[in-house]
Amino acid sequence: MNQQVAVDVKNVTKTYGSGATAYTALKGVDFHAEPGEFVMLSGPSGSGKTTLLSILGCVLSPSSGYVGLLGEDISVAKEKDLPRLRLQYVGFVFQAHNLLASLTATENIAMLLRLRGWDQKDAVKEAHHLLDQVDLSDKYHSRPGELSGGQRQRVAIARALAGSPPVILADEPTAALDAHNGLRITEILRELAKEHGHTVVVVTHDNRIFHLGDRIVRIEDGLILKE
Amino acid sequence: MSAVVPLPAPRQRRPAGPINTRATFRMRFSTMAVVGLRMMFHDKLKMFGTLAGVIFATVLSNQQAGTFLGLIYKNVMFVENAGADVWIVPANTETIQAGKLVSDSNLMAAKVTPGVAEAAPILFGNAVMSLPGGGSQPVTLVGAKAPWVLGGPWNIVQGERELLGRPDTMFFEDSDREYLGNLNLRSVRELNGHNVVAGGFTWGLLPFGPSYAFADFDLARSLLRVDNDQLHFVLVKVAPGADPKDVRSRLQAALTDVKVMTRAEYKSSIVRYVLTKTPIGITFGTSTLFGLVVGLVIVSLSMFSAVVDNVREFGTLKAIGATNTDLAKLLFVQSVTYAVMGTLVGLFLVTRLAEGIRSAKLALQLIPELFIGTSVLMIGLCVFASTLALLRLRKVEPAMVFR
Repeated sequence: MNQQVAVDVKNVTKTYGSGATAYTALKGVDFHAEPGEFVMLSGPSGSGKTTLLSILGCVLSPSSGYVGLLGEDISVAKEKDLPRLRLQYVGFVFQAHNLLASLTATENIAMLLRLRGWDQKDAVKEAHHLLDQVDLSDKYHSRPGELSGGQRQRVAIARALAGSPPVILADEPTAALDAHNGLRITEILRELAKEHGHTVVVVTHDNRIFHLGDRIVRIEDGLILKE
Repeated sequence: MSAVVPLPAPRQRRPAGPINTRATFRMRFSTMAVVGLRMMFHDKLKMFGTLAGVIFATVLSNQQAGTFLGLIYKNVMFVENAGADVWIVPANTETIQAGKLVSDSNLMAAKVTPGVAEAAPILFGNAVMSLPGGGSQPVTLVGAKAPWVLGGPWNIVQGERELLGRPDTMFFEDSDREYLGNLNLRSVRELNGHNVVAGGFTWGLLPFGPSYAFADFDLARSLLRVDNDQLHFVLVKVAPGADPKDVRSRLQAALTDVKVMTRAEYKSSIVRYVLTKTPIGITFGTSTLFGLVVGLVIVSLSMFSAVVDNVREFGTLKAIGATNTDLAKLLFVQSVTYAVMGTLVGLFLVTRLAEGIRSAKLALQLIPELFIGTSVLMIGLCVFASTLALLRLRKVEPAMVFR
């Protein structure tokens, strides 16, 4: 096991369904990322990048191959263990922010911290701290419906960083934003990740933010093409 | 495997690393409770829809059960209020109604049985009152011995009990006065062909059949044409400190041609009779069940629909680390909250309804046990109703958040 590699993927395949309707989304993918690295994962629709992201996020199990997060082999994890692995290793930023509409910005972050074992008082303080870091000090008590698209995505970034998970996975985080907001969100994500040593994998089509990545990994038809 | 780093102090963010995720059951439960309640109150329309189901089920089941208990009370009210601890009744008696007669030797035997403080006979039969304007109305005639405590009138709203000692004087039901031809104090009516005078009125003494009308024992004997050595029931008051069950056993051993029951046993017998040999039980049982089933369906569908509407949020919760058990806790809190809120509103409404329709003829018996039972039942119903939503939630794939 390599303790220096945050994300280690070796010869991973993923097949959906079986028999005549079987569809192989990943056909033997090798991928790795170091702690503190900011990696862009790019490719056309249906190329397998979201499947790879789901496997890295312990949301899906691979059909075969090895997947390690900080040395822990998650490819052999049982389904019941996946939620614990997600809490332990991964922060998510989704395309559509996916904040809970009924919770305030603070509560959206504190809720995840509570699941990660923080007591209520500390969780709220940390949530405020994270919101300060994404320039939303005046939006502690705002619900997602009261925030702009860019603000929502910043709350989502703060939530992904809650508790300082080693790996942050972002699925098209700029897709629903204009160019300015998309760039700003990516910059914030990069700054905070670099500051604290998070490994960030961003799935994106948005070539306006490619320059912010340490590496750009291209995937097509279930295979990594080039870096 | 890498080492798990302890949690950092707040505001001093530690470097990225594996997180100690060992949140206690209480932590996860309270977190899911807050999320569940926030989600519930966020969608107010759906919340009110679900609450309407619980309220409907509470009101309908309580109204039906209360009416049923009211009818049961009508059947046992005489046994409950006649003042007897032990009853001597004709053999094979199950309920209280005019029927076979027993010999007055049973009365004599009861009076000398150890543990008996007092024994008194009553006559109990149907009588018909001729009305001034023509026509007639039935009453349930009760004849009791002076001082008319055992088997005598209760809930007297006009007149004194002692007036029953006057010749041909009777007590009638106040709420039946119009029904009995605008009966007033000192009104004279023909009962079973004999003129009687209204000497007083009781309130609410309406059994399932015609209202109770009270007369002195000798007047009732004459009206019902019962022989001098016959009577319908013997009412026994036990001596202070005596156990009614012991007295009942002693009496039953001595009196083999009759049935002897304690007050509680007689009431149970009547209730059993009503439930098994009349359509009351099945009728009210069915409508109570109907109310519960409709409530169950409404709550089930509302909660299921809330899950379907918020499926992306539940998917997000799963994706960030919530388990199916966590989501079950969320639904549990929601369902118990729906049950408590809906039951409180429902019980308030049914109490107001009962006050609004309360009369001598129709009185809902809303007893504390019914309220407690309803509350427990509603919590059970709502938790059960949430299982449909939980089944849907279990199928939510966290990977959906990437689509």
